[in-house]
Parts: sequence; structure tokens; C-alpha cells
Amino acid sequence: MAAASSSSSGVAAEERRGIPAAAFVEDVETYLTQSGLDVNASLSVLQERLQQYKIVEMKLLAQQRDLQAKIPDIEKCLDIVAALQSKKGSGEPLITDYEVSEGIYSRARIEETDSVCLWLGANVMLEYSCDEANALLKKNLENAKASLAVLVADLQFLRDQETITQVTIARVYNWDVHQRRMKEAMKES
Amino acid sequence: MQQGDGTEAQVTWEDQQNINKFGRLNNRSHELDDEIKLAKEANESLEDAGNELILSDEDVVRFQIGEVFTHMPKDEVEDRLESMKEEAAKKLERLKEEKESILAQMDELKKILYGKFKDAINLEED
Repeated sequence: MAAASSSSSGVAAEERRGIPAAAFVEDVETYLTQSGLDVNASLSVLQERLQQYKIVEMKLLAQQRDLQAKIPDIEKCLDIVAALQSKKGSGEPLITDYEVSEGIYSRARIEETDSVCLWLGANVMLEYSCDEANALLKKNLENAKASLAVLVADLQFLRDQETITQVTIARVYNWDVHQRRMKEAMKES
Repeated sequence: MQQGDGTEAQVTWEDQQNINKFGRLNNRSHELDDEIKLAKEANESLEDAGNELILSDEDVVRFQIGEVFTHMPKDEVEDRLESMKEEAAKKLERLKEEKESILAQMDELKKILYGKFKDAINLEED
């Protein structure tokens, strides 16, 4: 798309983290003459832009779902570490029922401990003191929440660009209908 | 966007921003519906758990932490359950308030946009 005239009053972001902004069209006629495209060509360019936005939206939504699943997992880990820490000094072991296999549970007796093992991914598990584990888990939680916030903002920006593109498509189409009607009216007169 | 007859008012950048904002609010409103549904279910589950606890006469309760069920004295479970119920109730309250605020903002925007564009714009759920 040729660079359309920039908006007069609004301050629109040029792009955001790799997502190009949709240029706002002040006047359809000017836009068409400037870009040198006829109505049909312009509509198909805009439709293509819209499709590209939709593809990026799918990707971002998938990332959002992953993060939204990750956050409760980290919170559960923090709960367990807290439970282990609260048992320390009480002299009693923590007794829990855990799932051995689907539908089959067994009882475990967890003696007082100063350390836990954290699964880091890539088949790696490291032992940490409870305090270190807390710190690491909290940091991961904050990072995940921050990433989610950025992602949500990305999605909002992206959807705005989709809306702008959809509105532009409708306006170009309507302008065309209007032009045809006027030509018809002139022919008859 | 509806296909108009080509005689509607011109769309300014301000109009576009209003339309964008309406879109954002609409999306958030749908997300909130899902979140409110989950929050209601959570509140009900905690309520049920509380009732079951009162009825049971065991001293040791299996309380779920993470993926495992830890053995916990009934009193401690009752306390925990109380604070969980409080938090869940507050969360539901917050979500409902946000939804109300969003609906109000959407109504405002509808007035503005229908006022300018009348038939040429459709802001209803399909």
C-alpha cells in the first residue's frame, strides 16, 4: 500500500513490535488517486492486509493461552513450597496423597526438609533451598505476568488495526457504490 | 461494518478511534463473561466444600495443594477455606463491577456513533 496521508490530529503508532499500523484514510477519493489503484485492486490489497493481521492474531492468541496456563502452575508450586516451609520446625512430617497413575493414589510422608527440586524443563531438575525456590518461582511468576500484559496490549493494538482496515474496506466499497449511483443518475438526466 | 448506500457521513479519525474503543470494550466484555462464569463456579465449589466440611466428623481432611492432597487438621482447613471464600467473593465483585463499567462505556459510545452514522453502522451482537 502506498503511504497514505498521515492522520491530522490523532497520534497513531507507526507499528508495534513488528505489527505494522494500518494507515487511516482521511478521504477515500484522495486515497485512491494517491495509491493509483482502482477500487477492486484497492479492496483486494486491504483484504490481504486483513488476512495477514488475522494470521498474526492467531499466533498471539496461542501464546496468550500458553501463558495463561503457565501462571496457575507456578502459583501451585509456590503453594506447595509454602506448605513445606510451614511444616518446618513443627517436628511433624507432611503427609499427602498423590496420584501414582490415573485414578490410583498413594500416601507419601515428607519429612522436614530444607530443600526442594524444581523442574526447569529440558529434562533438567535442580535442587534449591526453600528460600531460593521461592525467589525463583516468584521471579518466574512476575515474568510470566509481565509477558502476558505485553501480549494483551499487542492484541489490543492488532485488533485496532484490523478494525481500521475493516472500516476502510467498507468506506471504499460505499464510495464506489456512491460513484456508480451518481454516474447512473447523470446518464438518465 | 454494514454496507451503506454511499451517502453516510464521512469517517473522521476521532470516529475511527471511537469505533476501535468500542471493539476493544466488546472483546473485554466477552472475556469478562467467561471469567465471571468461572468465578461463580469457584465460589459455589468453595461453598459446597464448606458445607461438606461441617457435615464431616473427621479430624483430618485431605486438602488439595497443587496436585497433591495434604493431610491437614480440620480447623486449619476451615480457616483456609474461609479466606479462600473471601478472596473468591472479592474477585467476583471486582469482575462484575468491571463488566458494568464496560457496558456503560459501550452505551455511551453507541449513542455517539449511532448519532452520527445512524443506519450506516451496526454495533449489535450478531
